[in-house]
Amino acid sequence: MKARAVTNFASQFGVNLSLNPELVVEKNGRFYFVNEALKPLLVRKDFFYAGVFLGKAKEGKFFPSFNLLSMLAQRGAHRIVVERKAAWLFICGRPILAQSVLQVFGSGKKNMHVLVLNEFGECLGFGRIVGNLNVKGGMDEVAVRNVSDVGDFLRRER
Amino acid sequence: MSGKEFFQNRYQQLGFTLKEVKLRQAIRINNTNAKDKNLIERLSGLGVQLEKIPFLLSGYWVAESKVSAGATAEYLLGLYSIQEAAAQIPVSLFSDLKGKRVLDCAAAPGGKTVQLADAMANTGGIVALDVDKRRLAALSNHLERCHVANTVVYLLDARQATTLGLKFDRVLVDAPCSGNYASDRDWFKNRTIKDVERNAATQRQILTSASECLTDRGELVYSTCSLEPEEDELNMDWAIKNLNLEIQEIDCHGTRGLTNVFGRELDASVARCRRLWPGDTQGFFVCKLKRRRKQ
Repeated sequence: MKARAVTNFASQFGVNLSLNPELVVEKNGRFYFVNEALKPLLVRKDFFYAGVFLGKAKEGKFFPSFNLLSMLAQRGAHRIVVERKAAWLFICGRPILAQSVLQVFGSGKKNMHVLVLNEFGECLGFGRIVGNLNVKGGMDEVAVRNVSDVGDFLRRER
Repeated sequence: MSGKEFFQNRYQQLGFTLKEVKLRQAIRINNTNAKDKNLIERLSGLGVQLEKIPFLLSGYWVAESKVSAGATAEYLLGLYSIQEAAAQIPVSLFSDLKGKRVLDCAAAPGGKTVQLADAMANTGGIVALDVDKRRLAALSNHLERCHVANTVVYLLDARQATTLGLKFDRVLVDAPCSGNYASDRDWFKNRTIKDVERNAATQRQILTSASECLTDRGELVYSTCSLEPEEDELNMDWAIKNLNLEIQEIDCHGTRGLTNVFGRELDASVARCRRLWPGDTQGFFVCKLKRRRKQ
């Protein structure tokens, strides 16, 4: 059950994520993956953080962690690679314009979720496809709306 | 007993003439996530020029920067952490961290926890403790940002570490301390000798609990960013006389520990500690201990 919130989210990106439910732990709606080496250190139920933070569930909605998004990127999730300036603007919360998309991997259908990667293949977050991804050059229409990006680490500190 | 003159006089007696220092921002490259050479090139492209810190493995001073080093994509992706130069020393003193079980007492905001995880290449396991819930949130963000996978965090006073019922191969006691004037502009206004004595007492309690969690062949690294000998050499002198520990030789930046403090003679092995007076780093103190071998 705990793992299902995570695997359901992964499936939106075309990834069949297999997580041993024994190794997924939940605390206050936050899900963590702990490996076998770490499990013996979980000696109290009131831990604050453990292993790999996968995301949190709130009011029936799942909010993925950036660790989970990176895991999905490594497992062939639907993703786009964007050029440098667009990558920076995306981290600042802005959408991705069609002309900034360098590569598309997997489905690029409208309303689907897609990971956004920089030119180094690092996952910056994810968004929802709202326009045509395959238009390269000259088009300044919004292709992907920002849903979540790593700039959140700075916003959390405010 | 407080004020600049009071503390200045104490430092003078210990052989240090107080001087104003301007700390340089330092970063540490997370080698699990990035290679030094690649990251240096990337940051250079953003107008961030780095200068290698000679006494650290992956530590660099920010020599020049057109952007905030704490707001680049590379920082947000966990490729590096902002960590003061001296603060990078304690973790570097542990031998062979990979696959080990490590206790990080007073861990928040997590700079050293992430450094431990990096040195362990995310193997083994770290238990990180802190008493401040708000600071634990900062620690958690730090762990997520740097893709740390081998840490369990508890809201727990390090003085109660034994209640976990666990033994550790490596224990880091980066103790809550009085701090120093180089990293706190109002330090002389805010601190009294009473604060120092209270902190020293707390540190001894943490050391007692931490040493009980140490395996027989384990290593304990103690550090503070305090210049006050009550929190440094005097505590180490106390530890070797009361906790069945002995001080190890270390090879790192800094001057040897003081063995005569305000006329009081300490155990000669206290000289093996390292004291960093403010200068190219903030003020700092570090010591490595092991269980005393049976005679």
